[in-house]
Amino acid sequence: MKDLISLDSLTDIVSNSVGILIIFAVINLIHDNNKTYQLEIPLEHPTNLAPVFFICKNERILKMDTATLFSNAALQATRGAAKSKQIFPLDFKGLFGKIDKENGISFYVNDTSEWQPFQNIEKRNSAIQNALSSIDPKKEFAYFFVYDSSTDDNANASGFESFRKAREYLKMHFVKSGWQPVNDEAPAHICDLSFSPRCVYLPSYLGQ
Amino acid sequence: MNRAVRHARYLPVQKLEISLFPFLSIFLCVMGVLSFINVLNSFSTPQKIEMSAQIEQGYKVAYQVFNLPDGIISVPPTKYLNDLKKVLDDDGKATLDDIIYKRKQMMSSLQAHVGPIKQAAIEPDIDDILEMLHNIRMVNELALKANYLYEEFLLFGIYPNGGQAYQKIRDVMTFTQDSASITVGLEPLDSNWTLNLKSGQNTNKSSNHISNQGTAQGKQ
Repeated sequence: MKDLISLDSLTDIVSNSVGILIIFAVINLIHDNNKTYQLEIPLEHPTNLAPVFFICKNERILKMDTATLFSNAALQATRGAAKSKQIFPLDFKGLFGKIDKENGISFYVNDTSEWQPFQNIEKRNSAIQNALSSIDPKKEFAYFFVYDSSTDDNANASGFESFRKAREYLKMHFVKSGWQPVNDEAPAHICDLSFSPRCVYLPSYLGQ
Repeated sequence: MNRAVRHARYLPVQKLEISLFPFLSIFLCVMGVLSFINVLNSFSTPQKIEMSAQIEQGYKVAYQVFNLPDGIISVPPTKYLNDLKKVLDDDGKATLDDIIYKRKQMMSSLQAHVGPIKQAAIEPDIDDILEMLHNIRMVNELALKANYLYEEFLLFGIYPNGGQAYQKIRDVMTFTQDSASITVGLEPLDSNWTLNLKSGQNTNKSSNHISNQGTAQGKQ
């Protein structure tokens, strides 16, 4: 006679436990479906702080060396780039530029391979962490041009995640930040407010 | 009693042994499938969101504009306008009635939309943008004139590929005086976040505030 161990009690306990877990999961799911998450959105504030510009695209981030960019653009302008509105290389980390009356200098991204991956923000002494850390919160704030375009409808493929990570890091270091979405049709541009009313770069933060 | 009967009496009782293996197999398979569907569902279900701003006095109300690749979805506030109306003069009441009527119409058409709400996005028309800005300014001025603590501001939620609609609105805002006094906030939104139209008319006074400053995990 085969001596079988009775599995009755074990089966009873397992089925009861799993059943209860499933009920919890279903309740949780229903609750979650009805739940509304309230996002607190930072508001733009006027400021006397000077902007330090960054571009975020394809999970990568670049600090814009405005001194180099402006001098290279000025060099191109003397060669007639402003008149013809042509796109010219800026010889800086895969950026191209265009000068026009509406937007000042517009920046087009050709290649992001030389930019820092946003994961490096948390790496000690990485170039991007040093760039973010070098911002003086009493004199400057960070302003991000964030690419919104993604081919697979995934926010990570755009610059959103890089921007969020950088903003989080800056917030911990009491540095204010602002941003605007950009894309190939409406690229990042830097100009002076006296030049056009579009040239406003403001920090956004919670509270007054 | 013969020998055969006695022998049968002392035979061990034959218990009915049922194998639990098929039951356990089916049971665990069903549990596994259910758990899998549950996990899958929790990932794919859009998270309903409502945008607000942290305002100390709590009397500021958000006019939400969701920017999608196909256009915008405007969620105007209406909840506290009836309270504001009570303190206005007749001219003010007439103006506000008109604004309330238009906003309720907008909300009704949004709520009547069948299918994913993101498909309700429409290309922002310059006249519509100007009217929206003008109405916000009018409401704010009426409240200020009546010394009533109420102010509306614009909150932009930018979905992936939704920057173009935002740029268009900001371009219009640059060149109209109506927007000069309007506070603006903007935030990148994930594509699986959807808007909650029922509470879209509420202010930031609601509990369950979740800060999204600086982190994608803010929705947790």
